[in-house]
Amino acid sequence: MSTSVHAVRLVAAHEFRMRLRTGRWKWLLGGFTAVMLAFTWFLATSLNASRDSYYNGETMVHDTTSIGPQMFGILMLFVLGLMLIISPTLTSQSINGDRERGTLATLQVTLLSPTDIAIGKLLAGWSVGLVALALSVPFVLFSVAQGGVGFLSAVATLTVVALLIGVICAVAQALSALMSRSISSGLLSYLATAALTIGTLITYFLALSATSEQKPILIGSDYMTQGVVRHPEEVWWLLSPNPFVILADAAPALPPLRADNGDVVQRSDDPLGSIRRSVRDATLPDSSLPCGGTVYSSSDQPIGDRLTPTIPQCPAHPADPSPVWPWGLGFDLLLGAFAVTVTIRRLRTPATRLGRGVRVA
Amino acid sequence: MIEEAELAEPRAEAGIVVEDVTRSFGEVWAVRGMSLVVPYGRVTALVGPNGAGKTTLMLMLATLLAPTAGRIRIAGVDPAADPVAVRRVTGWMPDTLGMYDQLKVHEYLAFFADAHRLSKAERAQAVPALLATVRLDEFALAPVHVLSRGQKQRLALARALIHKPRVLLLDEPASGLDPRSRIELRDLLRRLAADGVAILVSSHILSELAEMADRAVFVSAGQVVASREMSDLAAIGSDQRVPWRIRARDPEALEAVLTGRGLAGTASPAGFELPPMTEDQASDLLAEAVGAGVRILAFGPTGTPLESAYLALTEEGRR
Repeated sequence: MSTSVHAVRLVAAHEFRMRLRTGRWKWLLGGFTAVMLAFTWFLATSLNASRDSYYNGETMVHDTTSIGPQMFGILMLFVLGLMLIISPTLTSQSINGDRERGTLATLQVTLLSPTDIAIGKLLAGWSVGLVALALSVPFVLFSVAQGGVGFLSAVATLTVVALLIGVICAVAQALSALMSRSISSGLLSYLATAALTIGTLITYFLALSATSEQKPILIGSDYMTQGVVRHPEEVWWLLSPNPFVILADAAPALPPLRADNGDVVQRSDDPLGSIRRSVRDATLPDSSLPCGGTVYSSSDQPIGDRLTPTIPQCPAHPADPSPVWPWGLGFDLLLGAFAVTVTIRRLRTPATRLGRGVRVA
Repeated sequence: MIEEAELAEPRAEAGIVVEDVTRSFGEVWAVRGMSLVVPYGRVTALVGPNGAGKTTLMLMLATLLAPTAGRIRIAGVDPAADPVAVRRVTGWMPDTLGMYDQLKVHEYLAFFADAHRLSKAERAQAVPALLATVRLDEFALAPVHVLSRGQKQRLALARALIHKPRVLLLDEPASGLDPRSRIELRDLLRRLAADGVAILVSSHILSELAEMADRAVFVSAGQVVASREMSDLAAIGSDQRVPWRIRARDPEALEAVLTGRGLAGTASPAGFELPPMTEDQASDLLAEAVGAGVRILAFGPTGTPLESAYLALTEEGRR
């Protein structure tokens, strides 16, 4: 059965119209706007109160870029958080809910293909998410207007959020196609979102622990101690699908700040930049090990009653480690594509096998 | 089983041919080796109790379920091999209505016209015409949720007809219809059949089917028990025990006769409801009552010939 743009648009427009007429969207979007308004106001007020100069530990830094970058970063993380809460609800009942209402089968016996139905419904759910995202744009532009953040940076960051909404919607829709009951798919959709956000973080730290090793370290010429050597470079990829990591890492870097003496200093007013630095540093070997210290490894050869010390070289860390977001976003987009495939397969008829508890009509 | 008369029918011209079709859901066999033929230009009733496999068969014919075994041909096409071709020529009305309550009535039909890829001109012609056919034209701009169950039933029928199907599958189409709508449904189906549409109507309410069908296929426990022309059905039940109703001008005298024969009839405004008996037993009772001077106003089986035949055939099937 062929898929056409016309058919996908027909399903998407139909679904979107149905959602508009339920009336719930008004509450959803109204609530979203109210929360954004309140949060932006509190954020702007508190940032303005702590404005001016700050001490970075060594010297006085004058913030010449105002509250813009900090406000933009915090606001974008907040918007992403809100969207991750809203998005699963947009599609987590789109297939099994229609089955329960008896409307899915009437669609399946028309000339609409499973792909038309799956993609059309996904586009409708995603569109509602994008409408909510669009409502956050004035607040984001307000933070951009404070200075320090380029307009294109804001567009790029919003685009990443838009793609992540699509991924979450696709996963929730696949779960609604797999589960017979809409309450189960709703719950599992939130668990899947939690797995991407909190789950990746927990898994990363567990894996970091599991891959770390104890080694004797010689400090100076005759002081030996046990040191923990971590290998974040082996497990950093576990963090990459995390939507917050993707957002922070994909957001364009802000221009550097300069201290009174003209030196470039680490920005402490850029939340997205802080996350980006932490994640990118994780792709490199552990830099907490004292360079020039002496580490004995199991492969060291004894000479007399002493081991031959291995003098670890200080790793030559690149000034700007490679970005993580292409891997993470790539993984998430693949996950979304896989979810759409699952949905299409579950919509195929005539069905030879039905899931437990699934009724055709 | 396929009756001999059916085997003689030219199957190439049949709207639906089902051959030894089986469908299981895990351990449960919903349909076990069903075979039947639904010719064009006829209304065929699929008769059976709840759980007989009627809806499962309908779902297979509507291209939603694949048979576990056996062969199906709709307008000469195997739904498993080419479901799209089958959907182009098949209209299906399920027992669950599946309405989009938020849409207006005309929008609802227009959406399904688009989903069946009707052109704008075809849609503009088909939607009002069908709304008039099912007497919903005055509700065209009303939201679907304000319709009564019977009106929704008629809208579902219009949806099934939107692409002018050559094969029509109706699952419990008359449930919820008022008497006038039921008569109109019967007339509409007769007109469609006269236009050459093959119609399969499933129901367990036999009085509905008796009004609209040319032929009946009896199913029980997932199998076809028998297949008969409606005109032949009256004879089948003559020796079967069916409930009867009798009414007399002097009920006390009638009650005395009934008591004398050990018949505990239940009194109702329409007369006495009698327990199941054969035609011979009924005629004996009538003769005795008339002989006793009871002035009888009405006496007859409470069911239709289809009900009598169904009871007879399913009883045979059990034996």
